[in-house]
Amino acid sequence: MTDVERLFRTYNAALVRYLTRRLGDRDWAEEVAQETFVRALRQTSIQNERAWLFAVATNLVRDEARKDMRRRKHLALLAEQEREEVVEPEETTLERAQEAAMARKAVDALAERDRLALLMREEGLDYNEIAEALQLSPGSVGTTLSRARRRLVESYETLQKSREEREKNAAS
Amino acid sequence: MQHLDEGTIHSWLDGALSADEAARVEAHVKECPQCAAAVAEARGFIAASSRILTALDNAPRGVIPAAAPARRIDPMVWRIAATVMVVAAGTLVVFRNGVGTTKTDQAAVQTAATSSSALAPEAPIHDEGTVTTAEPTTPIRTKALPGAANAARALSKPPAMEKRGVATGEVGANAQVARSQNVPAAPPAVQTFAQPMSAAAAGAVAMDAATEQPRALKVVGTPRTVGAKVTLYEVAPGDTVTLTEPVAVQLLQSVVTGVAEQPAPRQAAGKAAAAAPMRRADAAAVSAPEPSVGAQASRVESANGLTTISWPDTVTGKMLKLSGRMPATRLQEIRLRIERERAAAAAEATKKNP
Repeated sequence: MTDVERLFRTYNAALVRYLTRRLGDRDWAEEVAQETFVRALRQTSIQNERAWLFAVATNLVRDEARKDMRRRKHLALLAEQEREEVVEPEETTLERAQEAAMARKAVDALAERDRLALLMREEGLDYNEIAEALQLSPGSVGTTLSRARRRLVESYETLQKSREEREKNAAS
Repeated sequence: MQHLDEGTIHSWLDGALSADEAARVEAHVKECPQCAAAVAEARGFIAASSRILTALDNAPRGVIPAAAPARRIDPMVWRIAATVMVVAAGTLVVFRNGVGTTKTDQAAVQTAATSSSALAPEAPIHDEGTVTTAEPTTPIRTKALPGAANAARALSKPPAMEKRGVATGEVGANAQVARSQNVPAAPPAVQTFAQPMSAAAAGAVAMDAATEQPRALKVVGTPRTVGAKVTLYEVAPGDTVTLTEPVAVQLLQSVVTGVAEQPAPRQAAGKAAAAAPMRRADAAAVSAPEPSVGAQASRVESANGLTTISWPDTVTGKMLKLSGRMPATRLQEIRLRIERERAAAAAEATKKNP
């Protein structure tokens, strides 16, 4: 029996961050992370804990994404959010909000596998763990990550450039 | 050496290459300005992508607020769960050490010996786990049932019978009566085994029992038998009484399953140990034939110093047997007490599991 409390303490923060980056919503991310730990509870043994947790979380997100209901709910709540004005955890400057929006767009522009590999790597998973979680060959992880990083940075820079141009045009 | 591909460069920078490969890459980068530039670029990508991803960490909450908060598991919950486990395990240890196990066990054995059925093979198994382990990490269930272990031990020579006996309590003061298991005592010290209840439910009941009732009859064992529920009560130090209640076969099966896998719930009662020391044991035994309902009132038999009285239960109508090495009059007193407790327990059970 795996010690779930230990798993939770060790990996929850990284898992929630990974999922938040992946999903763009912290509550949703926490919900998925919790479900992941609940599933870990049912496991008698887990070989590579970190890879297992990230793989399960990733699959949960994928399964979830298939659910139409979830999407509709999401949209409905986004609309509600517009009306109600969500309270941000901390004060967000306009500058930071714009950066976050661009980052979101750049990340969303990546291919799913590239995005997941990159997000897992950012949480400290090594190449073998990423390969296990995403069912890739370990040899292809370097290529996947290099492509993901390059594309992420390039699309972010493109967004940045067009924003600067817009601001320049607005100023002149 | 060929120029390095981008994937290899990232693998190298991420520390994912073997020592040999890394040494080769490093040597090549020193010699090759083109690859050195590619490495510099890759470092830039790695740093920049980390920075970009960090910007995502201020994701708003509440985009999907509906069900999320309710389902979130507060880390506190884990803490509490861990605490409960530790306390339960600790209590068990204390419980085991504190009670006069030896005498009780012997008494139980004697009583058991008198009965005729064979002992179930699984019974002894519980013993090990229960007796030896007490660390918090072990699942509570296993340890929780020290009582079961005792019972198993007690019965291991003589087969279990269809009775439940009670070993007398540690304290002479409450050399009172035994109560049947099936019937959780009014002060819910004992939980009902007979009823097929889920492990969780049983555990919960045990918990309740544990926390309440300081003075009910002390149950020292509940050897599991097929076809009957047997409870061992301690009436006085070294003095035990065995209560046997026939159980319908179907019901019995569910009981066996539940008990075999979850001896622990009882143990939860271990928590109660401090307040109300009581013990039980489970042991499997050979099945007994279904008793006929509606037998006549109290019948007395005596053999080898063991007196047995039997009477139809007022609640279930089944024949209950109470035996012990004492005069029939004493057994009758105990019987009254058991009946009272059974009635109260039945009421309690109805309340809990309508």
